[in-house]
Amino acid sequence: MVTPMKAVRSMDLGLVLPALVLTLLGGLTMVSAAATLNPALAVRHGWWIALGLAASFGVSRLDYRRWSDLAWPAYVLALAALVLVLAVGAVRLGATRWLSLFGVSLQPSEPMKLTTVWLLARYLAGQPTPLPTRVLVTSLALAGVPAFLVFIQPDLGSASIFCVMWLGMVWAAGMSRRHLAWLAGGLTVLLPLGWHVLKDYQRDRLMVFLNPQIDPLGAGYTIIQSVIAIGSGRLWGRGWLSGTQNQLSFLPERHSDFIFSVIGEEWGFLGCLAVAGLFALLLTRIIHLAQDTSEPYGRLLAVGVFSWLAYQACVNMGMVMGLFPVVGIPLPLMSYGGTAMGSAWMALGFLQSVRRRNFAPRNF
Amino acid sequence: MNRLVRFQWLVSVTLGLLVLRLLHLQMIRGGYYRTLAEQNRLRLVPEQAPRGLVVDRRGRLLASNQTVFRVAIVPQELEDFPDVLSRVGTLVRRSPDVLRRAYNKARSLAFIPATIVSHVPKDVAIRLEEERWQLPGLLVKPETVRHYPGDTRAAHLLGHLSQPTAEELPKLKPYGVRPRHLVGRLGLERLLDQELRGRSGGLMVEVDHRARQVRVVGARDAVPGERVELTVDVPLQSLIEQALGDQAGAVVALDPATGEVLAMVSRPAFSPEAFAVSDTAAVTESLEDPASPMLNRAAVGVYQPGSIVKLIVAAAALEAGVITPSTVLECPGSLTIGDRTIHCWNRDGHGPMNLREALMQSCNVYFMKVGRRLGAARLLEAMKDAGLSYRTGWPLEEQPGHLPARRLSEGEVALLSIGQGEILVTALQIASVAAIFANGGALVQPWVIRRVGEREFPPPPPRRRVKWSPQTIDAVRVGMKAVVNDPSGTGMRAMSVLVTIAGKTGTAQTHVEGQTHGWFVGYCPMEHPRVALAIITEYGGAGGDLPAEIARTVCEYVVAPETL
Repeated sequence: MVTPMKAVRSMDLGLVLPALVLTLLGGLTMVSAAATLNPALAVRHGWWIALGLAASFGVSRLDYRRWSDLAWPAYVLALAALVLVLAVGAVRLGATRWLSLFGVSLQPSEPMKLTTVWLLARYLAGQPTPLPTRVLVTSLALAGVPAFLVFIQPDLGSASIFCVMWLGMVWAAGMSRRHLAWLAGGLTVLLPLGWHVLKDYQRDRLMVFLNPQIDPLGAGYTIIQSVIAIGSGRLWGRGWLSGTQNQLSFLPERHSDFIFSVIGEEWGFLGCLAVAGLFALLLTRIIHLAQDTSEPYGRLLAVGVFSWLAYQACVNMGMVMGLFPVVGIPLPLMSYGGTAMGSAWMALGFLQSVRRRNFAPRNF
Repeated sequence: MNRLVRFQWLVSVTLGLLVLRLLHLQMIRGGYYRTLAEQNRLRLVPEQAPRGLVVDRRGRLLASNQTVFRVAIVPQELEDFPDVLSRVGTLVRRSPDVLRRAYNKARSLAFIPATIVSHVPKDVAIRLEEERWQLPGLLVKPETVRHYPGDTRAAHLLGHLSQPTAEELPKLKPYGVRPRHLVGRLGLERLLDQELRGRSGGLMVEVDHRARQVRVVGARDAVPGERVELTVDVPLQSLIEQALGDQAGAVVALDPATGEVLAMVSRPAFSPEAFAVSDTAAVTESLEDPASPMLNRAAVGVYQPGSIVKLIVAAAALEAGVITPSTVLECPGSLTIGDRTIHCWNRDGHGPMNLREALMQSCNVYFMKVGRRLGAARLLEAMKDAGLSYRTGWPLEEQPGHLPARRLSEGEVALLSIGQGEILVTALQIASVAAIFANGGALVQPWVIRRVGEREFPPPPPRRRVKWSPQTIDAVRVGMKAVVNDPSGTGMRAMSVLVTIAGKTGTAQTHVEGQTHGWFVGYCPMEHPRVALAIITEYGGAGGDLPAEIARTVCEYVVAPETL
């Protein structure tokens, strides 16, 4: 029997601590962001953090290899939830992304990310290098089906995450440069076609991203107000609970996608630098874990989680600073959202498990 | 593993770029964005200062402020626009189309009320307010506007207000003037605009993203404009305005000792309040009326003086020694100079007469002869000495009038001696001339402002003493007394049993054949003069008619107890 103390000591603190600090900073910011919005959100966010940490701890205690057969059922279950959300999901902000279960809103696309990483890692782990075309196509289908289901919700941002995760994992798994060139060529041809597939509001967002002043009170409003909020924070920030853009509701979606704007406004450049630094620490630690793991399944798990978190963090921060289009990608570990919080922390739990199985623990 | 290192590089570079962007937004442009954030949250709700009161010498109101009601629509709160328009339209008696156009013109941002009717009476405002609960978006807002209790009373002295033009606004902005505010345009409202305006105050309000007030972060009280006390006497002003009635013309009544303006009337007049409440129809009518009601005929209007200059001619001649009071000159009914014959108004001739009789009868031949003895140089010098062709220097708008500067022919000198030809004067100048005879030789400076706020403005000292001896002035006074008080005097209609009036009539020919301007200049009471008068009726016939009657009315008021 392992005592809790020993369990904690057996953890990779380099992985847990940055994530934990980010999560707690997010919680603190949530209190401020929810103050005039709906204070109950902050309390709920606290519960989600607690649940996420517990789930993460539980997952970390398991042997990821022993449970790998569960990847397929988990993937199919998440996929079923995605289909269900399209059928009966609640429409919010012009999109069907949420499932209401026992009064709790769930966003099935979040566990879908986790199960896709899991399944892709398991599938790609046994393949020869360089990856044969057949494997590439199959793996692309595994990521493409959920991406498509999410895309038609419509949620362009989340759909793109699946593509990025797939690309990261097949690249790490040994995709040949020839395939990469094919992919790049294919994308260049398909992207202009993709423009026609986009919904009007998605095109608007792209246009507004290119020039926010086109529609300062409409679609451009979000970007302008977010940039004003971040910029007005200057070096030290306006102080916790004191950001006027935040407290007076000039910032839209400040508890979810725009939580980083609240940090920028209230904690200033130093706060933003801390958040960016913590993400850098966390991501570096994950990539080191992947490098140190010779066992392909565990290594690919780490690469998948890395691609997922790195992409979301960078795109979200860039988006609220007006560098990328507003595509609705939340900031991992910080934005409001129970399923997102749970999925991210469970993914980190997986990585703990990978680490424990691949390095001789000193205290065992 | 080579490929994983690239991942790390990619993320590091991206995060680095994000930090650079943060540096730019927060450190380099931070001040700018802080300002934008402040502008986002702070709104100034201005409070206009009530404009200063204008009162007469006894504190009677000439200009004050009143509350009217503005009907506006808050775009973001509108639910049933046509319903609001039709309800408001019925109550203010305007068609919904007119209101809709006004709304489209005034509408700016969703939370800023757009005015559809500038001013509605209190009873309409109350009825609208009662119905407001079922007309979301409707707003009835009380507002202070300038009020002139006497309507057109003293309109030309007071002037009027109007909205500043686009060019003026930047200059007025430091004084707290905003586009909707009104500024003084004419008369005292313009001269004392700054003092009357006061200082606007306002609230600094923190608002949220829907412009709803969150809290008040700062306040500055409006400081009302200063009270302005005039030298004018309102009952006298009203009395003269009534006496003139529909007759176009001007009257100036001065205190001969100080030059204080007791009354200044110019008719026809405009309604300053029409400008204050932006009554477009009335304003346009005033501005385009061919009778020029905007013109202050008392100081800006210039007229030929006719016989009233004979007072100056007489004084100058006595002073120069070319006549004495007892010098007798013959009036055969006309005077021929060269090949030109000028008739006396009495074509049968006045016969032989001295100065007193010549003034009393206003004999043209007598004064033409005197004028010729005097010569052009001494004649013009005397006229200038009495203030003609110079601005009086009073605080408001005025014209200097005109005297010829070129060499004059003998005939022209003769004409000038009876106030015809190349000579133009203002009623204000003539009132000052009257004051010279009333006060015994001082050319006063007309003055109209007694007090602004706490500051006293005593009348300025006389401009100068004219070069006439007391004997000269007394000799002219004898004639002026006869004009009114002798049964054969031209101004006998001014004669009063209550007060002895000294005066001189004038009937100036105009460019319209058979039409004359009537003049009366004088003062009263003779013993201790308290008012000096100049009265002109434009195309109003003879000076002995209405002008003389107005003079009597004024003088009887002045000596009645409990007046000035």
